[in-house]
Amino acid sequence: MILKTNFRENKKSVKNEDVSLNEQKDLTPEEFEKFIISSGAKGSFMVYRSPKKDDELGMDNL
Amino acid sequence: MTNNLDHQNSIENIMQKLHYDSYDEWVKNFALNLPDIWNDSSAAKLKVNIINDDFKTTKSAIVIGRGPSLKKNKHLELLANSNYDGSIICSDGSLTSVLESGITPDKFKNFYVVTIDPYPYAAKFYDNEVVKKYGSKINGIFTSITNPNTVNSARNAGIKIHWIHSLFDFHEGKKSFNQISASMVRAKNHTNGLPALQTGGNVGTSSWFVSWKILQCNVVALIGINHAWEEDDPLEKIISHGRSLDSERKHEQVNIDENSPSFDKLFKKVYNPDFNCTGIVDPLFQFYSSALKEFISRSPSWLKTINATEGGVIFGDRITSMKFTDFLQKYA
Repeated sequence: MILKTNFRENKKSVKNEDVSLNEQKDLTPEEFEKFIISSGAKGSFMVYRSPKKDDELGMDNL
Repeated sequence: MTNNLDHQNSIENIMQKLHYDSYDEWVKNFALNLPDIWNDSSAAKLKVNIINDDFKTTKSAIVIGRGPSLKKNKHLELLANSNYDGSIICSDGSLTSVLESGITPDKFKNFYVVTIDPYPYAAKFYDNEVVKKYGSKINGIFTSITNPNTVNSARNAGIKIHWIHSLFDFHEGKKSFNQISASMVRAKNHTNGLPALQTGGNVGTSSWFVSWKILQCNVVALIGINHAWEEDDPLEKIISHGRSLDSERKHEQVNIDENSPSFDKLFKKVYNPDFNCTGIVDPLFQFYSSALKEFISRSPSWLKTINATEGGVIFGDRITSMKFTDFLQKYA
């Protein structure tokens, strides 16, 4: 059986960027981790971070 | 802003920890791939030597994800019926539907597919008749830690394999896996090594990096890169990050309580003013979209990123939103 969402259509006009309409605070790290584990939705891979910020955009030869 | 960065750092650290559970699997994948890596091509072979004046002319690409807007806006049909002559870069999960829609390397000569996923389920993306029909005319870009069964599946379909490294621990120095595996690759044939890519955690973002970092395109359009669900998508699809549609994994239990206080935080509604639409952003998409938007904002000034998805939540600094028909009219 396919469940349908209960997300309501929202016609509100919002001008600002990146506005979360349900006006909730961000997830806590604990809530995020719990979701990832319980959903099994680990995704493909991780984001690479480095003290050398240019390296984060990749390297021509390694 | 600082809070947003702190939040993104927190979730990236969690994702890193969770992914590192599979570290042994990546090492095994690399070990099994190494003889093939030595004998196959580096993705650097696909790189065009750009001289200064080349950036005065447009070299464009279309990166194709498999977000819900692709079908809703008939973008594959529009592209199939166009005379677009730039590069087509498919995320592996979109390859079959792209080919079946008539977007084939017979018509679109510069045709690429990208896999960054180190897990076995990616093999299925290459194991079907339409991929076998066109595979010999497709350039594949694979990370050195791709599951060997995935690579074999692509190879058996005739796809030409090109290798990259996916960055994850290079900053840890000579004892990092990135540096050790790079040294092993350089030991034979690839004396200059391989390109090393930021994946952004997903193949759509990786494909965007491939488009400009390797293929040197200076105009890159995104379609099917929503990083969000539609409001009328089925609940079970949203709470499982689409896994309910995966025949091999849909039986797995997802324990999300729709009535829990954190539900609205888990599945945020984000308004996209550029396309006047609202997307449902699950935690994984929050992780992906924040990273992609950040990297687009930090990309070189010669690169123009056009979001032609007409949906989703990718908008902001350095992102030009445009209807896909307008993109095709301008760049085809």
